[in-house]
Amino acid sequence: MTFKKLVLCGAALAGLSAAAFAHSGATGVVKERMDAMKSMGDAVKRIKPMMSGEAAYDEAAVREAAQAIADEAGTAMTKKFPEGSTDHPSEVLPRTWDEWDRFTGLAQQLEVAANGLAQAAGNGRHGDGHMMDDQSGMMGDHSGMMGGGMMGGQSGMMGGGMMMGNGEFPEGVTASQIGQMPADGAFMMLTQTCSACHDRYRKDDD
Amino acid sequence: MRRVFTGLLAIVAVAGLSGVSLAVWPIGEPPKLADLEGDAQRGAYLARAGGCIACHSDPDSGRPALTGGAPIKTGFGSFVPPNLTTHKISGIGAWSIDAFARAVRQGVAPDGAPYYPAFPYAFYGHLSDQDIADMWAAFQGVPAHEVTGGENDIVFPFNMRFGLKLWRAAYAKGPPTEAVPDRSEAWNRGRWLVNGVAHCGACHTDRNLLGGRRASQYLAGSDDLPGGGNVPAIRPGDLAQAGWTVESLAYGLKSGVMPDGDTFGSGMGEVVRHGTAWLSEEDRRAMAAFLLDKDETGDGG
Repeated sequence: MTFKKLVLCGAALAGLSAAAFAHSGATGVVKERMDAMKSMGDAVKRIKPMMSGEAAYDEAAVREAAQAIADEAGTAMTKKFPEGSTDHPSEVLPRTWDEWDRFTGLAQQLEVAANGLAQAAGNGRHGDGHMMDDQSGMMGDHSGMMGGGMMGGQSGMMGGGMMMGNGEFPEGVTASQIGQMPADGAFMMLTQTCSACHDRYRKDDD
Repeated sequence: MRRVFTGLLAIVAVAGLSGVSLAVWPIGEPPKLADLEGDAQRGAYLARAGGCIACHSDPDSGRPALTGGAPIKTGFGSFVPPNLTTHKISGIGAWSIDAFARAVRQGVAPDGAPYYPAFPYAFYGHLSDQDIADMWAAFQGVPAHEVTGGENDIVFPFNMRFGLKLWRAAYAKGPPTEAVPDRSEAWNRGRWLVNGVAHCGACHTDRNLLGGRRASQYLAGSDDLPGGGNVPAIRPGDLAQAGWTVESLAYGLKSGVMPDGDTFGSGMGEVVRHGTAWLSEEDRRAMAAFLLDKDETGDGG
């Protein structure tokens, strides 16, 4: 009886201190993954202006940023999401663990896209030398991602392109295939993978 | 003498009037929708911009595109976007173009029933007859599929559709899209897209308890999206404060990347993936220019 009380008491204390930590900012695995997400965001931020044409293209910087993202993707990411780790200020939605295969699939896809971007770094931007001409007609956006291209066959109404409707790559897309694309196309496959995951597994508070 | 004068005056007046009438008397009829030739490519573009394909498809279900979307769960119940393929029973294969026009622009079903505002028809009222004909041509090219996403499940009393007539009277007016003469072409194009077919305000304008958009909260963000999501304010000052420029916002609508290197979530990723990423660079820049209230699509403006 006394032993049981002691255990209960200890559990209550542990619970209390966990709660206290939670309110003073991220700790433990939540902090780890928030830091990792932040570092990936920083990498995206460094090269985004090169992809949009706002800054001069720097092949080495693109390769380095892509590598940094690849290092944090895949299992490096998913192991930072142990089941039920929803402590404040985490923004993760509980659905993540209900759909664990899909979540890990997207994390894996991010690694493929990031490795692909590292290989595509040397290809440069599609738009370079074309005076902003990365459009051909209404539907095509030939930065490699959208138009018929690799996936082929579509009438404009029926989807297609390099991403499936739910943000997943078609079965079997590899990093070396993505590595053949213009770097800005590969970059979009990467950032839209980030978004697909944020859409479904992150609760935005702002 | 006086009487003659009055009579003359009257004749002159009548003649004048009929002159005016003659001048403005329309001859011939405006072309009927069915007589217009639709451009399916342009229609598909509008269908992308309008989110038709995004909302009426559910890739996770394994069903083909446009056979009906994932349920939209709201406080009023669950709305299932219907099948828009050319199937005669499940889809719109038995519709006329006039029925299509009425559904899209006025939110009224072929049987006369009002649609629920989960369908953002209020933002589509500005589509021209030619726009409708183009979209119709695009939808005619969609293969027929019988399968659907199921039925709406609406709670009482909102399941009584006649109540929607009152709702329509109060709220079924979209934000303005007509051109403002002293603004640039890009700004006006952006306004046509943002306030119209791209229907940004369907999410970014907060709604009242009846699901009507609160005009005073135009693009000021909302914290009660279907499913409980938040969306930020996207008025010019809000966007500028968040670090957006015309250039970066246009690119954000293509890539999903935000000024701090983070990427969109809460459904905006889907909007980009299914919608804005498919638009022309020019249209994305126009949307960004309008949203930031600039007349130029470069950042000099």
